[in-house]
Amino acid sequence: MLCEKCGKNNATTHIRSVVNGVVKELNLCSHCAALEGYTGISHNSLAGMLASMLGDVTEHRTIAEKVKCPVCGADFHTIAESGKVGCAECYKTFRKELLPYLKRVHGSTHHAGKVPNSAPLAVVPQKETVEDLRFELNRLVSEEKYEQAAVIRDKIKKMEAENNE
Amino acid sequence: MSSWYNNRETQSDVVLSTRVRLARNLEGIPFPSRMTDTQKQELKEKVKQAIADSNTPFSKTLKYIDMQTIPQNEINAMVERHVISPEFAKNTDGRAIILSGDESISIMIGEEDHIRIQVILGGFQLEEAYDIAERIDTLLYSKLHFAFDSELGFLTECPTNLGTGLRASLMLHLPVIESRGEIAALGDTVSKIGFTVRGMYGEGSKAVASIYQVSNQITLGISEKNAIDNLKIIATQLIEKERSAAKELDSLKLEDMTYRALGTLKYSRIITSEEAMKLLSRIKLGQSVGILKENINPVELLINCQPYMLMRKYGEMEPYERDISRAEYLREALKDY
Repeated sequence: MLCEKCGKNNATTHIRSVVNGVVKELNLCSHCAALEGYTGISHNSLAGMLASMLGDVTEHRTIAEKVKCPVCGADFHTIAESGKVGCAECYKTFRKELLPYLKRVHGSTHHAGKVPNSAPLAVVPQKETVEDLRFELNRLVSEEKYEQAAVIRDKIKKMEAENNE
Repeated sequence: MSSWYNNRETQSDVVLSTRVRLARNLEGIPFPSRMTDTQKQELKEKVKQAIADSNTPFSKTLKYIDMQTIPQNEINAMVERHVISPEFAKNTDGRAIILSGDESISIMIGEEDHIRIQVILGGFQLEEAYDIAERIDTLLYSKLHFAFDSELGFLTECPTNLGTGLRASLMLHLPVIESRGEIAALGDTVSKIGFTVRGMYGEGSKAVASIYQVSNQITLGISEKNAIDNLKIIATQLIEKERSAAKELDSLKLEDMTYRALGTLKYSRIITSEEAMKLLSRIKLGQSVGILKENINPVELLINCQPYMLMRKYGEMEPYERDISRAEYLREALKDY
């Protein structure tokens, strides 16, 4: 059987999930399974699950070493090891890394419950502007946090490139 | 004022209590594991102020208590009567609680999340409990800014609570299902639909007195209403199963077991909490099947005869003294039964 995602490699990971009574079957190759967060199935602790994802996906390892959350300073490695997220901002900083894990735990990555309506501004996360990032960049440089500053600098470059498109 | 366990009106044969909790965090402060001492103080003040400022008749019934001002024995007794989580009792540093007079509402500040709103009611009252928790959530949200993401919902320290932040759980008395050895299978079945079966004190605790907690695991991609409705369906089926299985038991053996339990409870001089709870569970079953009258509430006795609850009533004691005191307490409570 070929992997249902890439259609190239043999499917070696077979996942059967039941969420809200709906049975889903997924047959993936080891590479796609890792990308979807289905690695180290034997790990049942959160920390174990996160750590196995971190260990198996090279891309995540790079991110874990470089990126720190601008608000609380947590890196993905620490989050994965403890199973605890540092702060609300971490969910933005490490969203890409956390999504496959959330998908696996909850079977979904989209909130379907209560939306607080008493403060509508907080409901829609405000988009960061280049100005916000520049301000942040200056702050980090003045605090000599050059690693974090470099991340912000790259973000600004990317944003400016997108704006010019 | 009566709490969930000593309100006889709400008690039912299978569902002992309903608990709903909402996990919430404030924007701009790291989650509890990464909070500094100053931030911990700041958090307590903010929540305290939010309740004070809301100035509704409802909020006036709530009392703020710093956990460091409560003696350790009383904290342990609060765990035994399910007012706070075992996790919250482990460390009082930077933590506070807001309690209602009957302890049905407890807002834990500085637990795994900044705020844990808990509502616990006797019997099977899921909608009622959620309704109260939701009102407190709205009240607090009008004063504080909760970390919320349009895609991921309410943000929590542990990603397993993300989304609704809701944990709805029912404490069920399942002696017959347990005696048939069907609890493990039950756990497997409910886990497939995003629910879990745990012991009396939640995560990692073992089952005492055939009491189990069934609660939702999934919080993202499911609405509060759906999670509660699903739990209701599971519980309704379990109640049905427990009742019908009880009818299949040999009535003479059941009667014998019930009266032996009552005999021991009425006449023993030394009794451990484990034995007392096991026997009270049999009294509860005896009541459910109509062998015994319901003018005694075994759940209340079961909660009260735990070590710290007992010491709350009769003062500090060594384990052996407690076993004597527990036997006295039970003899007195059951003398006319």
